[in-house]
Amino acid sequence: MNDELLKLGSHTFGSRLILGTGKFSDTETMIRAVEASGTELVTVALRRFNRDKPNDDLCAPLAKLSAVRLMPNTSGAINAKEAVRAAQLGRELSGSPFVKVEIHPNPHHLMPDPVETYFAAKELAADGFLVLPYIPADPVLAKKLEDVGCAAVMPLGAAIGSGGGLSTLEMIKLIIRDSNIPVIVDAGLRAPSEAACAMEMGCAAVLVNSAIAAAQDPVAMAEAFALGVQTGFEARQAGLMLQSEFAVATSPLTSFLS
Amino acid sequence: MYLTVNGEPHEHRGDGTVSALLAELGTEPAHTALTVNGNLVFSKDWEIFKFSDGDTVEVLTFVGGG
Repeated sequence: MNDELLKLGSHTFGSRLILGTGKFSDTETMIRAVEASGTELVTVALRRFNRDKPNDDLCAPLAKLSAVRLMPNTSGAINAKEAVRAAQLGRELSGSPFVKVEIHPNPHHLMPDPVETYFAAKELAADGFLVLPYIPADPVLAKKLEDVGCAAVMPLGAAIGSGGGLSTLEMIKLIIRDSNIPVIVDAGLRAPSEAACAMEMGCAAVLVNSAIAAAQDPVAMAEAFALGVQTGFEARQAGLMLQSEFAVATSPLTSFLS
Repeated sequence: MYLTVNGEPHEHRGDGTVSALLAELGTEPAHTALTVNGNLVFSKDWEIFKFSDGDTVEVLTFVGGG
């Protein structure tokens, strides 16, 4: 077993950074950010073909990145039935077994619907998908999703696109403690230090989109996130020291002059 | 024949095959997924599939998303 690799189902990844491809100012910048990040897995969304915006089609540019696999999401779905159909369309188009189940019926807060997400994930896992559900940071829900065969769970750090950071930190710790599948923080991260923190806590990976796409220099920020993820992962592997309520001297406390 | 394609009325002047419609729309077949009247039509079935007058067609592709 190689602990260096992220495992999703029977698939392995050298990078523990997953990138979203939305919100970039243009496709070229997105591709350069993906390359700079070293990611091997990116999310994409399914939408109606727009004759007036043929360049919105990401299939061709992403196909040139041979090391990168696609994970279609089910964004736009407001219930399990729609998410299952979106997942089937995504698999048909990508040939990828991965699906990010994302069901958020309220456009104001974009919080994932735990009930519909559970039913969609259960059906898709039974249909052979490698399901990575985007969920509230709820350890009970996370365990139930593990039980129905999800490949990972992806609790939110904060609201999508908010840059709120790891506001759910304590709940994510509980999820990690009880989970036998990878826990991936998805949504809310703003800074590479937060990605490092998530990895130090024991997350298997992080999924980042807005923090990179909306940075002043997305390509440089993609590289910074890659470093943050790697730093946090290596720190976790190295084993953090135990915390102490009191000071513990680093120099001998024996008398010096007397 | 008259179809509804991505929510818009569309007069299809071809032979009713998927390849004819996609050529008419100017989309790349390998980058396209299709539903007809809400049902997924798999690409392996595109050669034998024929649209019917009044069909509601969704032509989908990948765009950026998180």
